[in-house]
Amino acid sequence: MIKLLNVSKIYDKNVIALDDVSLTFQEGELVVLKGVSGSGKSTILSLIGGLVKPTSGEVLVDNKKISKIPDHFVSSFRQKNIGFIFQKYNLISMLSVAENILLPLAPLNLSRLEHKERLAKVLGLFSIEDKRDVVVKNLSGGQQQRVAIARANINSPKIILADEPTANLDEKLSIEFIEILKELKSQNRTIIVATHDPLFFELDFVDRVIEVKNAKIVL
Amino acid sequence: MKLQNIWFVVLACKVNLYILEYSIKYIFRDKYKNIFIVIVMSLLVALLAATLFISNSMKAKYNSIIDNYPDIVITNQKALRDSTIDENEIDKVLTLKGVTSVVARVWGHYYFLNADKKFLILGRDEFETYFNPLLNQKMNINKESMLVSKDVKKILNDNYYKKYFNFIKSDGMIEKVKIQNTLDLDTSVKNPLLIIMNKDLAKNIFQYKNSEVTDLAVSVANKNEIAFIATKIKILFPNARITIKDDLRVHYENIYNLRSGFFLTIFIITFFTFFIIIYDKVSGLNSEQRQEIGILKALGWRVSDVLNAKLYEGSIISLLSYILGISFALIYVYVFNAPYLKDMFLNNYNLLPDFKIAFTMDYETLALLFFLSVPIYIAATIIPSWRVATLEADEVMR
Repeated sequence: MIKLLNVSKIYDKNVIALDDVSLTFQEGELVVLKGVSGSGKSTILSLIGGLVKPTSGEVLVDNKKISKIPDHFVSSFRQKNIGFIFQKYNLISMLSVAENILLPLAPLNLSRLEHKERLAKVLGLFSIEDKRDVVVKNLSGGQQQRVAIARANINSPKIILADEPTANLDEKLSIEFIEILKELKSQNRTIIVATHDPLFFELDFVDRVIEVKNAKIVL
Repeated sequence: MKLQNIWFVVLACKVNLYILEYSIKYIFRDKYKNIFIVIVMSLLVALLAATLFISNSMKAKYNSIIDNYPDIVITNQKALRDSTIDENEIDKVLTLKGVTSVVARVWGHYYFLNADKKFLILGRDEFETYFNPLLNQKMNINKESMLVSKDVKKILNDNYYKKYFNFIKSDGMIEKVKIQNTLDLDTSVKNPLLIIMNKDLAKNIFQYKNSEVTDLAVSVANKNEIAFIATKIKILFPNARITIKDDLRVHYENIYNLRSGFFLTIFIITFFTFFIIIYDKVSGLNSEQRQEIGILKALGWRVSDVLNAKLYEGSIISLLSYILGISFALIYVYVFNAPYLKDMFLNNYNLLPDFKIAFTMDYETLALLFFLSVPIYIAATIIPSWRVATLEADEVMR
């Protein structure tokens, strides 16, 4: 379970990204955060992922106050429990598909065999086996998005956070992405998608749609 | 080091091969820039190492020369020019308290016109003890033969003097001397054009009168009293030039200090260039590099993982540069005898004529260069990344 309790986030120059927000996400839920750019939905994802700390309030993930624990532990927690999918994919363009996907595993120092098995599994799951050794910069937007999703799943995280995942995809590729989400939900993952893409709002497998406006939740 | 200790070190380091692989790929992603840095750093290390190898070798050499120099040398002067001295003056010197021995030395130069070379001739009496250990060795020579160095032997051979050599004396007469053997000299010996012969034979060639010698070498029991005894000798021989060991040391050091100025210039230029590289590294990361650190953090890399990657990256580049630089310097100095650079140190000054650089593994120089290059470069690689890695990942990626 994920809880945000009276969370506010103020960035430099007094930019208020979130203002006293309280939210709860149940395990296995697929929640869509909708809102215009700058409304604060990406900040909610960053807070849950421990990428930023709130200015006030608390963030609890699996009953761990990740807004209070040191950065070192947040990183380890994120490594094991959270998979990020970014709008701009945030892949390292000069590395190959396999190298990008395996990056989250590097600090764990697992065996080569373990790497090989996990890689084969996600490559198959997202149908990019044939792109294994292709340098990422040579892939199309849709293919890069699949690599980013595969990377987010290499640790089989319980929580998947997707920030504007279809912003750079055409409609066909967006529908493909939604199919992938459906598959991940069926594996009982908690999925939170921040988007302003209307495709997500009417999906039957989406549990809730929450609107974020001017740094607050619209009830 | 025992095998178990090596294993302990390896385990303690806990090298993460995946992070190491990432660092190697990171280096290759920016290969042209990194190759350039390795070349420049290697050349800087090589230049400094070569300079230090030569200068240390020179220092060691002149120290060994000075160590073999008599405590006091009395050289007679006429019209302020060096002249011979009467051997019987030894008795006068021996009356001074503190003087343990006095040796009348016969030595000088012989100019061999055919080869346009100047030989150094040292006269030796087997019953005397000399400061120069070379002369104290057992030698199979008599009053008609001599020992020559390999370089002299070659010159004489080239001029068809295989078994004998004819010295032309100042009165025009010829002195035929048998070439007895070749001297086995240390490769770094001060003057490789050396001839050792019986003292009386040397006197004959130089046309000294019976009691004439080149100078008197004085040995003093208490080395703290050398200057005091030298003053007493000066009173005994007001016309003589009295040289003490410390004078020679000062003389060498004064000349060497001129080279130190040259060395200092190289040192400053090298470090100026090196610090430009360091400044460039420390001054910060570009937006792409910053974003990459943010991505790694978002993927669960801890600050220590990011710093490990940077440690490996800095270590690979700086150690490679260091090893290449030292290898270049060793080959340049000890294989090729440091052309150009050695001449800059030695030419124009008769400091160490025909000086050959002897191989010595100078660990202090190696350590000095290591600590001046490798840790500094590693720190310069880590610090900007540490600054970025300790920021919130979200802030770095934005």
